[in-house]
Amino acid sequence: MSTPVFELRHISKNFAMTAALSDVSLEVFPGEVHAIVGENGAGKSTLIKIMTGVYQPDSGELFSEGKLVTLNTTKDAQANGVAAIFQEPMVFPDLDVAENIFISHSSMSPVMNWRDLYSKAEKIIKRLGVSLEVKRAAAGLTLAEQQTVEIARALSLNVKVLIMDEPTASLSAHEVERLHAITKALKESGVAVIYISHRLEEIFTIADRVTVLRDGKHISTRPVAQVTQAGMVRDMVGRAVDDFAMKKVANPVGQKILSVKGLGRTSVFTDISFDLHQGEVLCFAGLIGSRRTDIGLAIFGVEPADQGQIEIDGKTCTIKTAQDSMAQGIAYVSEDRRKLGLAMLMPIVINTSLASLQKFTRRLGFVDRRAEQAMAEGYRKQLSIRSPDVAIEVGKLSGGNQQKVMLAKWLETKPRILIFDEPTRGIDVGAKTEVHNIIRELASQGVAIIVISSDLPEILALADRILVMREGRQKAIFDIADADQEKIMAIATAKHEKAA
Amino acid sequence: MRGFFKTWEGLLLVILCVTVIANALLVPEFLTVQNQINLFSLSIEKAIVALIMTYVIISAEIDLSVASVMGLAACVFGTLISHGWDPALSIAVCLVVGAAAGAFNAFWITYVGIPSLVATLAMLIGFRGFARVLLEDRGINGFPDWFNGLARDPLLGPLPFSIVLFIILFIVLGYVLHFTSFGRRVFVIGNNAEMSRYSGVRTARVKTTIYIMSGVISAAAGLLYAARLSSVRGDAAYGFELDIITMALLGGVSIFGGRGSMLGVVFSILIVLNLRNGMSLVNIDGHRQTAVIGVLLIASVLLPNLMERARLARSAHLKAQVK
Amino acid sequence: MMSLLQRVHPQNLRLIALAIVLVLLILFFATQIDNYLSPRMLNRVATSAALFLPIAIGQALVVITRNIDLSVGSLVGFLAFFMGDMLGHYDLGPVLTVVAFLVLGGCFGAVNGTLVSYGRVPSIIVTLGTFAIFRALLIEYSDSRTITTDSMPKWVADFPQLSLFTIGSFDMRMTVALALAAALVFGVALSRLRSARKLYAVGSNPDAAMMAGINSRRVVFIAFVLSGMMAGLGGFMFLVRFGNITVGAGLGYEFKSVSEIVVGGVNIFGGSGSMLGVVLGTVLVDTLENSLLRWQVISEFWRDALLGMLIILAVAADTFMTRSFTRLRAKKDV
Repeated sequence: MSTPVFELRHISKNFAMTAALSDVSLEVFPGEVHAIVGENGAGKSTLIKIMTGVYQPDSGELFSEGKLVTLNTTKDAQANGVAAIFQEPMVFPDLDVAENIFISHSSMSPVMNWRDLYSKAEKIIKRLGVSLEVKRAAAGLTLAEQQTVEIARALSLNVKVLIMDEPTASLSAHEVERLHAITKALKESGVAVIYISHRLEEIFTIADRVTVLRDGKHISTRPVAQVTQAGMVRDMVGRAVDDFAMKKVANPVGQKILSVKGLGRTSVFTDISFDLHQGEVLCFAGLIGSRRTDIGLAIFGVEPADQGQIEIDGKTCTIKTAQDSMAQGIAYVSEDRRKLGLAMLMPIVINTSLASLQKFTRRLGFVDRRAEQAMAEGYRKQLSIRSPDVAIEVGKLSGGNQQKVMLAKWLETKPRILIFDEPTRGIDVGAKTEVHNIIRELASQGVAIIVISSDLPEILALADRILVMREGRQKAIFDIADADQEKIMAIATAKHEKAA
Repeated sequence: MRGFFKTWEGLLLVILCVTVIANALLVPEFLTVQNQINLFSLSIEKAIVALIMTYVIISAEIDLSVASVMGLAACVFGTLISHGWDPALSIAVCLVVGAAAGAFNAFWITYVGIPSLVATLAMLIGFRGFARVLLEDRGINGFPDWFNGLARDPLLGPLPFSIVLFIILFIVLGYVLHFTSFGRRVFVIGNNAEMSRYSGVRTARVKTTIYIMSGVISAAAGLLYAARLSSVRGDAAYGFELDIITMALLGGVSIFGGRGSMLGVVFSILIVLNLRNGMSLVNIDGHRQTAVIGVLLIASVLLPNLMERARLARSAHLKAQVK
Repeated sequence: MMSLLQRVHPQNLRLIALAIVLVLLILFFATQIDNYLSPRMLNRVATSAALFLPIAIGQALVVITRNIDLSVGSLVGFLAFFMGDMLGHYDLGPVLTVVAFLVLGGCFGAVNGTLVSYGRVPSIIVTLGTFAIFRALLIEYSDSRTITTDSMPKWVADFPQLSLFTIGSFDMRMTVALALAAALVFGVALSRLRSARKLYAVGSNPDAAMMAGINSRRVVFIAFVLSGMMAGLGGFMFLVRFGNITVGAGLGYEFKSVSEIVVGGVNIFGGSGSMLGVVLGTVLVDTLENSLLRWQVISEFWRDALLGMLIILAVAADTFMTRSFTRLRAKKDV
């Protein structure tokens, strides 16, 4: 093989008492897609931050095209042709696409030549094989489009190594395909792509080599042809893990609890109808943007529906706010932990009691902290939240543990109907299995559950019935026994229907 | 106990003690009860409003209109009295005006979605404008003696009504903020308002309540101001908002919301008052006092920042040495 | 209509709406006040706006970076008094005087900027503090004196009448020209200079700015220095316009400048805003103030009450417009 375009040798990095990376070496060659996998806390983010100059290693050396380099700032990294794009794109919402691409160019002239800027931007966008209006403000772009802008920004900087950190975590199937095509185009033009993903399936479609990290240590680097998914997972967690088995038949279910009839919200979704029974898991499948989440929000009342009706226990209910739905025993576990799920700077205990604060309120509004503490402590043990106590700030926990705190908050409301929105997004394999087990356990206790997910294996592992959405409409609802990945995808992605 | 002195409140208490001791050493009559009461009465209106400002800032909002509401309430009172209204009824009307002003702010902030910085800035100008419309350039006095005495005559032991009101408000507002579910919601909203709504917290209602409380308490403080001066003009309490916000911020309330304590704010109020009083006793002018408080405000955030950075630099240095 | 709304940039839509409001306001007052549409009235509004425009420009630069400068009013007052006193002793001549104002203002702005950028203290706290400190400096320095143009060189008192050129009976006053020149310079810079675009980047998304290798601290620091310099220019305008300077000089200008730029469509949370908007906002507010002063129907004391309502309505309209615009966009995307 040729010389590596970028190389890490014996890199170590410590934070306070813990070693985030110890003695990790890695070679990246031009024109390869190099996947890096590992559980959360395995050291992937630290590795990226060292490569992009955000952190400096405590020991070890970095080589760019064979030359020893020190990267003290992101600018240094850029100068050496290293750039990164993240799961949550870093764009400037108030600036237009073209300016977003070229904002950090020091080589551009000090006086803006807008016409030149737009034509250059168009050229780069075209090179990626996508269409995007370069004069649009970034604020109006979809997540996938914002990502495209970031890739274009990296390209414009003559990037040699492009790091993609979980780029597909929030993308729909279409968008994932497009991103993969872009990645291939980059690879063919000689760029080395470092690809980090929790979706192991896609690594087999796109990567040439795969490196596994565990607990800050380098475990293996192998050509993708020589690894199996099971082997990869074993390397990641250090033991064998059963792939979550597909559910073959629906569980026996109890009586009908929720009945949705002709539900709609103007210009968002229309005509949604389904029944939900105690102990049943109903999954909403569909692409991102197919308005699955909006149905959840309508039933929960934070974005109320304006057409149709919701019946609970056979009685029609008016649900206009979260309080209305919570009074009916409905809970909604959001997909966006950071913005809609948790108060990151507040302790576990306060987050856990928030939705059921009334229960801990005594005379004169007094909050019974002892009872609250005991409750939170109980959930910490029951859900095995990894934290020394419940006074720790939620923001300091890992994604999986944050997810469990959010779950505890809603379990304490003793819900009869529980809506999960992307329950395992961005959490590692181990925590994912735990969350799935909790969902199954709840169903077996008679809770009626709706799971909104983009992860088809997850849907097949959990669902009793599946509702497929496309473009704000309910396209099919069927039993798990009749379901497979191809069928769901076919319904979810059917050709765009021309609007009349 | 050692932990307490590492907290913001602990630091404030130390500063407070130092100020009081320094004052007492410099000026023997400083520690007399009467001097302390005088000193407190002089800024009592600002201190009262600072208590509710604590709520507003913890909920990650701001209320710049408080001083204008104070002025408006005082002017409404003056107008009603000059038209021969019953003083007790007039007071009630003024408190209602304060509540209405708060509700008006809350409407724009929670239902229309205007940032509170902008909405209350507009009403800082607007409410002051209404106060001026009422009194134009007249001054009004001739309030009943019992009213003028509210800020002066001893009510409970040596304490006048205004100080008693402050103490009651401190206890009630402190209890509600730190021990009740309402207070808990104020903190959580300040941390993440959208998340709170998704957790079934009625954020609009909590914020509206806070703004109405802010309006009523500001109106009451405005009346006390009128009582203390025994007269009122259109510019009553002009510019007080900055002092009030300074008191809250110096008390360790985070300008970004979600953090702060009533105890810290009361310590900071006492520090500000004692500093001003001590400086007056040694003949330092009012404007120099203001400058000192401005410096204190900036230092209260700057010094912890610098200390934190020095700590980080030192630990990095130590690490390098170990290597 | 829909396609038009989709094609026009929301920023421009906002400016058009603002211009329409301004025209309607003028037409309304023209029916109410005799001799309203006269060059004299235009001159009056223009001289008044010339004082506030530089201050608003500086405030806008700071607000675009997601900060705020509450110290400008005190700074205008202090600089006007200090320089007025200096001119009593040394006649610097107009050009050097303006330069001195700018330099001094920039130095005070640098104090704010250092504390915000390098001390990492939130700008609202820093400038709340310097608001008090600068005002105290003025009181300390003035020693409760009032200074008037009598003690200054003659050109100071004559400066407001100085015309650059005259069209009919409309004078293009030097002060107005200066203020407009400042707006023009910053307007061109903000849309044309790569380095000035960084103000928007920092205000729009500070994290992304850091990742893109922009030195946010320096950008914010410079914004504060410029705001100080513009407050200096405002101080000069204050000095020549009033020629009678007390310890209360510039009181409340910080809030007025924030109101003007918010009415002019600068986002209080940073990232967007244009100089054209700032000019329109300032002119709108000053037109309203000057017109109410001459409107017989209601007393002049209604000025602030109406101004407060105007600001809140302008912002509310803005919020509604942006919201329905986004909704239109969303509809298209479905």
